[in-house]
Amino acid sequence: MRKIILAVSALFFVFGNLLANEVNIFSARHYDSDVQLYEKFTAKTGIKVNVVSGKSGALEKRIIAEGGTADLYITADAGRLGAFAANLQGGLTSNEIKSAVPSNFRTSKWVGIAKRARIVYFAPERVTGAELRGLTYESLADPKWKGRLVIRASNNIYNQSLVASLIKNNGKGKVAEWSKGMVSNMARSPKGNDRAQILAVAAGEADIAVANTYYLALMLSGKKGAEQQAAAKKVKPFFPNQGDRGTHMNISGAGLVKGAPNKDNAIKLVEFLLSKEAQKHIVNNTYEYPMIAGVSPHPLVVNMGLDFKQDLTTKVVNYGNRQADALEVMTAAGWK
Amino acid sequence: MAKYNFWFFSSFLIALIVALPVITVFFSFFSETSNYLTILKNTFLFDYINNSLIILIFVLSITFLLGVISAYFISFYEFPLCNFFSWALILAFAVPGYIFAFSIIAFFENYGTAYSILTNMFGEYNYNPHIPKLDGILGSIIAISFSLFPYVYVLTRSSFFYQSNNYIEVGQNLGLSERETLFKIILPSARPAIIAGLALVAMECLSDFGTVSIFSVSTLTTGIYNSWLSFDDLNLANQISFILLLFVFLLLSIEIYSRKEAKYHQPSRGFKPINKIKLSGKKSLLAFSFCFLLFFISFIFPVSQMIYWTLKFPKYIQDINILKINLNTMYLVGLASIVLVFISLFINYGSRISKSKILNYLTNFSISGYAIPGVILAVAFITLFSNFSELMSENTSLGNIKKLFIGSIFGLVLAYFIRFFSLSFNGIKSSYEKINNSIDESAYLLGYSKIKTFSSIHVPYLKNNIILIIVLISLEIIKELPITMILRPFNFETFATQAYIYASQDLLEAAALPSLFLISWATILIIFSSKYILSQKN
Repeated sequence: MRKIILAVSALFFVFGNLLANEVNIFSARHYDSDVQLYEKFTAKTGIKVNVVSGKSGALEKRIIAEGGTADLYITADAGRLGAFAANLQGGLTSNEIKSAVPSNFRTSKWVGIAKRARIVYFAPERVTGAELRGLTYESLADPKWKGRLVIRASNNIYNQSLVASLIKNNGKGKVAEWSKGMVSNMARSPKGNDRAQILAVAAGEADIAVANTYYLALMLSGKKGAEQQAAAKKVKPFFPNQGDRGTHMNISGAGLVKGAPNKDNAIKLVEFLLSKEAQKHIVNNTYEYPMIAGVSPHPLVVNMGLDFKQDLTTKVVNYGNRQADALEVMTAAGWK
Repeated sequence: MAKYNFWFFSSFLIALIVALPVITVFFSFFSETSNYLTILKNTFLFDYINNSLIILIFVLSITFLLGVISAYFISFYEFPLCNFFSWALILAFAVPGYIFAFSIIAFFENYGTAYSILTNMFGEYNYNPHIPKLDGILGSIIAISFSLFPYVYVLTRSSFFYQSNNYIEVGQNLGLSERETLFKIILPSARPAIIAGLALVAMECLSDFGTVSIFSVSTLTTGIYNSWLSFDDLNLANQISFILLLFVFLLLSIEIYSRKEAKYHQPSRGFKPINKIKLSGKKSLLAFSFCFLLFFISFIFPVSQMIYWTLKFPKYIQDINILKINLNTMYLVGLASIVLVFISLFINYGSRISKSKILNYLTNFSISGYAIPGVILAVAFITLFSNFSELMSENTSLGNIKKLFIGSIFGLVLAYFIRFFSLSFNGIKSSYEKINNSIDESAYLLGYSKIKTFSSIHVPYLKNNIILIIVLISLEIIKELPITMILRPFNFETFATQAYIYASQDLLEAAALPSLFLISWATILIIFSSKYILSQKN
């Protein structure tokens, strides 16, 4: 029995390799809309897209252990790509890519596909304009927010990237102090995802929350049900650090894996993801910001405001480099 | 040396394969690790152990109460729907802890289902602050308890069932009250069965990965996984696994010992079935309400939450390729159970005709695959075959054979094999041992060949047992999450992985449909086999 299975698997394996006009993706982003996008790519180019999805950590391990299978690693955080850079290879340097993506959102090994901002949400009933004026990520640790703030746990990668960018801009020592201030301002012990933070503000559990931009739009769209749509209307977005470097930006991105068996196809797929058609599809389904110029975000995202200053000076590659430091200061401060 | 024949070597090979992950973990315990162990000792490790212990203690207490009380009511009393509850309470097995976790989150979160119900009943108001937030450790305890209590229920009930009514009559003749009979006679003689059930609960609880990761609680098991992922330190992961394994082996020995005790306590002669006492009034209401609530919370609650979501967000019915996932699941379940049952029969037969004691000891190793938590097995599996194939490609001309093991159906079935061999092997063994050896000898005298003896005497006798084993394996594989998640091939989802992926992407409502299918399949299997499960003598 086992011999038969072995032989059959070997046969599939050999045929699989002979017939390969394909590209193998390991994706930590698994929206159904991404799958539709891959289908469009296949229809256009004839290249079959194979996907295995999962949580980023486990995928990274499998990419390494399996060796020579993965072409692209797609994830929703720059810090992840940065930390995995040793297992990625250069090659994402075509003119299409370089002209489409601003230089702080790419390296030769990985490029951003879409952008998201990590911002503050507040309850207009309980937070005044005066309180918010000049709000920065740094000033969230101010004692005036004591018992009024909700944010996710420290093991969350979006938080790690945000704190990494703060360390890059302020130094580790200051951010260690800041983390302590954050912990003492928390309205509750960190729990739930970004959407749960926004809902906590709507429900009156807290006055301000830190969460990514697309979550509010998702709730406002009604895709999460009428209750959450109504709840989302009770909170307002605020873009921090407008007086200095700008609001913290993160990316969904794709990295070219070392030893990729279908390198050319992988590059073609990245170029396709950066095309106008694909970008429109992404922003309309995931409510992220487009990576390329000339594509408008979803109207609900436009309503949240587009004229804010993005932090384009802190290179996103720092999120990966400072990730360990970020986790260290948060844990030391007792940030669960 | 007739001992070292074909049967010996094949059993040895199977035992070795099944024990590989445990051996890997064992040897890594003595290898060097990075200084992360120190970091871990200072920061997280204590938390991990603490969380694991808190969850374990509460889950054990709750499953003990739920399982024993329901078994007591159902075995000794008659009340409305008591026959229905006797099998309906096992349906909780159809709802894995992680799906119970989705339901809890959906129901209790801000603006969740509880909020919608209150709004529909009493009008608009901010009910959120008044709805209890069941999450974190509390949520994990509840989800795990309600999905595991049937272990205690099934074993305790069958012990009560086979407990001779004689004992109880003796008690009553001695003038003991109902309560005194319960505490002085019924419970003490069911003790081994209860402990065996609790040991199974404890093992499953310690190896839980899905539920606690949905609630973001760090336990020893997720700690192992995380130290592998974030610190890139497999040896460290394996060292923590070793601590966990010590726990598990302790529980396992308790379980095996208790089972032996349970057998010892079974009267063989003078067995009188229990005369159920008919309850009325308040007592009847109490027994009924307890069983009904238990059934409601453990089964109706998660199922209706999933149905509600599926109907509320119909978009996902089109988005999810449910047919393909059904086929994938059937394919996996079919392949794995055929391989498992075939090899289990083969090895059992070998150990029978060769009558070798060494074989018996060897096959005891088979238990190790079940003892090791799925997520750790997957981690060890990847490491092992990654190293193995590097060794092979350096020394032979085979090239890269990793793909054969990692990310292939073959690898997935092999991992299931390691995990569930104990279930299938010991299940068949227990029933094989009941066929008297003299039957074989009579068959030989009648001119039957060995193969004919096997195919026309053993197999027909074992048929019911084999069916039950196939059902149990299928149930486990349908619910299995971490191994499938880590090892599955490209473009391949099962109900469990699809549901978990949606949930981890904050799309709990999309996880409802695959969860519902998973529960339906499992329910069908349970109903199909409930007669066998309930009649098992431990």
